[in-house]
Amino acid sequence: MNNFWTVVGFTIRNKARAKSFVVSTIIMVAIISIAVNLPYIIDKFSSDAPDRIGYLTASSEEAKLSSVTPAVVGDQMREYFAKQEHPDYEFVPIVNLNSDEANQKRLLDALSSGEIDAYATFEDDGTSFPVMVLHAEKEYGDTSKANMQAVLQSIKTQFALQGLGLTEEQQTALFSQAVVDSVKVNTIGEALEEEVEEESGARYGVVFIILFLLFFTIMGTGQLIATEITAEKSSRVMEILVTSVSPLKQMFGKIFGMFIVGLIQTALFVATAVVNMLLPHNKSTLIDMGFDISEVPVDLYIYAIAFYLIGYFLYATLYAGVGSIVSRTEELAQAVMPLTFLSLGGFYIGMFSMNAPDTMLVKASSFIPFFSPYAMLMRVGMGDVAGWEIAVSLGVLFLTTLVCGWLSAKIYRTGVLLYGKRPTIKELRKAMKAYKL
Amino acid sequence: MNPLVVERIVKNYGDKTAVNGLSLQVSEGEIYGLLGANGAGKTTTMRMVLGLIYPDEGSIRYNGKAYSKEQLHNLGYLPEERGLYPKVKVNEQLIYLAQLRGMSKKAAEESLKKWLEQFEVSEYYGKRIEELSKGNQQKIGFIAAVIHDPQILILDEAFSGLDPVNVELLKAAVKGLRDSGKTILFSTHRMEHVEELCRNITIMHRSNPVVQGDVRAIKKQYPRERVMLATDREVTGLESLAGVRYVTRHENVTEIGITSEDVAKRILHHAQGQADIERFELMQPTLNEIFIKTVGERHE
Repeated sequence: MNNFWTVVGFTIRNKARAKSFVVSTIIMVAIISIAVNLPYIIDKFSSDAPDRIGYLTASSEEAKLSSVTPAVVGDQMREYFAKQEHPDYEFVPIVNLNSDEANQKRLLDALSSGEIDAYATFEDDGTSFPVMVLHAEKEYGDTSKANMQAVLQSIKTQFALQGLGLTEEQQTALFSQAVVDSVKVNTIGEALEEEVEEESGARYGVVFIILFLLFFTIMGTGQLIATEITAEKSSRVMEILVTSVSPLKQMFGKIFGMFIVGLIQTALFVATAVVNMLLPHNKSTLIDMGFDISEVPVDLYIYAIAFYLIGYFLYATLYAGVGSIVSRTEELAQAVMPLTFLSLGGFYIGMFSMNAPDTMLVKASSFIPFFSPYAMLMRVGMGDVAGWEIAVSLGVLFLTTLVCGWLSAKIYRTGVLLYGKRPTIKELRKAMKAYKL
Repeated sequence: MNPLVVERIVKNYGDKTAVNGLSLQVSEGEIYGLLGANGAGKTTTMRMVLGLIYPDEGSIRYNGKAYSKEQLHNLGYLPEERGLYPKVKVNEQLIYLAQLRGMSKKAAEESLKKWLEQFEVSEYYGKRIEELSKGNQQKIGFIAAVIHDPQILILDEAFSGLDPVNVELLKAAVKGLRDSGKTILFSTHRMEHVEELCRNITIMHRSNPVVQGDVRAIKKQYPRERVMLATDREVTGLESLAGVRYVTRHENVTEIGITSEDVAKRILHHAQGQADIERFELMQPTLNEIFIKTVGERHE
């Protein structure tokens, strides 16, 4: 047992001090910090500076007409955006100089002096409503155009309705939006918890993050374990190690050491995220977006930890087994491919089924050991799962982990002594028999 | 009771036999030479002695006892391609390895310092392995094998790839360990090292021990088939004497291969008739010759 902890300590010390590890951790912490602050940053940038769009007021001639003139449409646009809390655009009236040339010069001057970011002209295309043309030094994307088109459309509708002589109520009725709502019910038709939109938003986010962390740590630490073992083998330290400490202690010491390292790293990521989320400016922004961590039920976190623990050891032992049969680091990537695909498969099933947590695929996957950490956790987070289902899934996962741990230990014991080309399963079995394992 | 007794061990890998009925004994303060071409079964034998794999038949006894995990602390191993962590500091990995073999951190540190001093490389204490030259890496590898003061040492090609100065340094260290009563199993291709260090040897060929025993006794079993002759003037007609297999003229001496020892007398007689003899020696076979002879003969 003593040696086990010696191996654990050595693994942790070496890994946690490796430059590559420190650098990648710092980069991840930076990325997480930026990601959490991103909504706030975007918010800041977009709300501060709406695009100022100039338009001409009515010319003296137009002022006499009563029909829909460009200036009237412009005024309507201005009013519309002025009413918004964080408008993307601001329409600025520019006094008409009653001469096309002078107007043109005035608008271009305003544009070049920065007084406005763009100007709009309204051209008659022969229909009853003018076409709006934006003139600017930058390109307006489809989203901006669609935004303005929607506003223009409603203005057009209003003008058209005015001619029909509808009452105020009739107009309001026409403009009010239709609503679709959803309520979760169980099989006898009772509505389940009073779930507000915000909570499911938070759940969605939390499940997404947990799935991602799970995948990231399992893949990351798994690969590291395999790489370390292959490196020990190719640098032949392995020969000294196997004569100093039993392979079983060595393998599980490494897995456990790496587990602690991974745990510290994950804890650091989570702490970074939480600290950033708790910053006052972020808190309100996130809640505005419907993301409030404290509303996620605690049992989701508990199951997440349970699935993480067992899932980690399942993959870690297999990665160790694979690492032990490869002699050169160059061959490792290819050898761990099947494991990578298994993990990736489970991750994708979880990720892409978040909107439909009750499909047959997800239900089946949530009991298949290699997928269940992702699939079952997603179901717990997003859907309605019976307690026994979770218990069975965890049980199956646990048993598989034991079997895989035993198998990997056997492979490891044999693999570390085999050099040369990667053995086939048949050769491996032969070697196991020869070594009397 | 010899510290290491190997009795008729057999190891099969599937239908291929790697070691076939090898027996040997190594006493205290002895270096035992295990010789053989590549693939002869040396590494398999060493792995069995180390307890990494178990023999199919026969037994290995350490101080009269069968193998157990506790033996690990008693064994030191220098693998042929010595392995160390390239990116870990010398003191960290050697103390780690010593701790794995049951040493306390403090004792390991002391032992490491003592050995570094002996090899005159104390300044490498906190260096990474990758910063050291190959020769110095090998010294560190050697220290890794002996740092925990094992009773039984297994050295696989201990001097391969070293320059002559470092060979002497390590050889002195191995002799020192022998004189302090260690039991050493030593494998090599370099016969001159064996002649210098080993009392008893086993030559293995294709899994079988083919020549075994005391180095001097083995040499006596082989006929002396070489004469070294130095004279003040050139001697002619040696080639035409009956029983002469070849004549090679070196710078200051002539080497003559003969079919049997009686031919030597005829050569001496012949040479005396033509010149004054400065040197005449009927040579003992070298281990190299014995090795090539035994292994070569069986190659056909």
